[in-house]
Amino acid sequence: MHLCVRGWWAAGLLTALFSSFAISQEPCLGCHGPDGNSVSPQIPSIAGQPKLFIENQLVLMREELRPAPQMQPIVKGMKDAEISRLAEHFSKLPAKSMEGGPSDAALLKQGEARAKALRCGICHLADFSGQNQVPRLAGQREQYLEAELRAYRDGKRKGGDTVMTEALNGVSDADIRALAHFLSRSKPVAR
Amino acid sequence: MMRTLIAAAVAAAFAVPAQSQDKPAAPPAWHQGKPPAQAESKLAPHAGKMTETPAADIPVSKLKVPNGFKVELWASGLPGGRAMALSEDAKKVYVGTRAIGRVYEVSDAGGKRTVRTVVDKLTQPSGVAYKDGALYVFAIDKVLKFDGIAKNPESKAEDLTAKFDLPKEQHHNWKYVAFGPDGKLYVPFGAPCNICEPPSKEYAQIRRYNADGSGKEVLATGVRNSVGFDWHPKTKELYFTDHGRDWAGDKGFEDELNKISKPGGFYGFPYCHNNGTPDPDVKKADPCKDVTKPVKLMGPHTAVMGIKFYTGKMFPAEYQNTAFIARKGSWNREKPNGFDVVSVRIGNDGKTTQRPFLTGFNESKDSYKFWGRPAYIAQMPDGALLVSDEQVGAIYRISYERPKGEPKKK
Repeated sequence: MHLCVRGWWAAGLLTALFSSFAISQEPCLGCHGPDGNSVSPQIPSIAGQPKLFIENQLVLMREELRPAPQMQPIVKGMKDAEISRLAEHFSKLPAKSMEGGPSDAALLKQGEARAKALRCGICHLADFSGQNQVPRLAGQREQYLEAELRAYRDGKRKGGDTVMTEALNGVSDADIRALAHFLSRSKPVAR
Repeated sequence: MMRTLIAAAVAAAFAVPAQSQDKPAAPPAWHQGKPPAQAESKLAPHAGKMTETPAADIPVSKLKVPNGFKVELWASGLPGGRAMALSEDAKKVYVGTRAIGRVYEVSDAGGKRTVRTVVDKLTQPSGVAYKDGALYVFAIDKVLKFDGIAKNPESKAEDLTAKFDLPKEQHHNWKYVAFGPDGKLYVPFGAPCNICEPPSKEYAQIRRYNADGSGKEVLATGVRNSVGFDWHPKTKELYFTDHGRDWAGDKGFEDELNKISKPGGFYGFPYCHNNGTPDPDVKKADPCKDVTKPVKLMGPHTAVMGIKFYTGKMFPAEYQNTAFIARKGSWNREKPNGFDVVSVRIGNDGKTTQRPFLTGFNESKDSYKFWGRPAYIAQMPDGALLVSDEQVGAIYRISYERPKGEPKKK
């Protein structure tokens, strides 16, 4: 966590200093992992995410439509072309599953059933690898998924449209935990 | 492998302990009303693009217009740009957006266009209107007025939200707004679903207000989702486009062109579609009784957006008082439909003739290979048309030059 806070500062500084130059992906790696697969449980992996999804999220954070206090100083003033370059870069990196801990068989089952009932696979695809503006969920960090799903359900993750809030309407905390457990342990497939 | 996975999933579904089965989640609004036959359909709204598309990457040469017409790229660098409102002299064009939350101002000077953002961080500020030197911006939950904006870029916003009584649901409540010939401000309120009895009376209608938000009057009800209208230059009647419901197959239901001849009409939603077809899900006795029928059906799922009656002097006489209608293009259909601008001539007898006008956005008849999506139409003082493209965030200009030797038609 400490490292990451320092990362944000450094990233903000870098952006300020070199905003007129092409931005390197260096500032991202401190928090999102050296290969875009996050080593911090609460920070998302960005490797292998669809290009359009990364672009949209960076734009939404830059425009302050998606609240993200840690990301705001980094994306502030970032040009669209730089956003597209970063999105292109990270979308091509191989996604890895980063949850090393033991999995809970009952929770996995429950998560898989809920993912099926909620038809997550229609937009996120059957292997949860995501497409276009829809993110990859397979192998995403569990803690991050749980927090974001809850924020969506409670209308606290703003930006974009209301599709996810509607999709999660009435889903219990227990089921969200199961979904996060199952999805984080689904094997990410190469795009 | 797939079969094993499905078997496992089915087994798991039955194995879930009862206490984790909470009430079923309400489907997302765009997804609602899906029949069992389409339950596994992969159709979903197309992804928008929130970053600038460089002018060089916009393939204008692929666009086709009738003989004698010319289409050129007029402005670019407006991600998500859709409805346009012009200042008095049309030197400024104000452009609303949805997801990216901005309103742009395009300045036209010396044959070159520059773009700036007037206001941002709004929730779907798609409605823009201009009157008496002021720009009006309608977002889902906000109404702003910028007095004197065309001359004073620093014009401070006046917040008129409280005056307009906006309902809270987001879905289908992104707006098209315009001032009518009566000086009133016309505002639609879409149904917050695909197909449903609206949760309260304030949805599925078109209203008009005085410019300051006073004098609210409901003009039309039973309107599912209108995001475009214009007034006939002669009869002064309001013609509005309306999106038909989804999840009814490739053939159903059609988008519509409707007309308000007098206030108070009911246009059928959610009970009755097309020229009198009852809805398969939301039923009542005599569902099409007293429903004002459309002037014209505009094709299933075409996504009819902006409409503009032509009154300029540049185009051939046959286009006088003809409606140009942008059809942004389908998503809820296996085969694409729309992705064009059509001209619709409305005869004195009410008969309509539709012809293609601007095509080439989708490169296949059978599949979705589109690069652009035409959304709204504006007429310039010289009689040229502007057409906005929401997908690539650009505006095209369509002009006409009479071929040499061809006599001017009367």
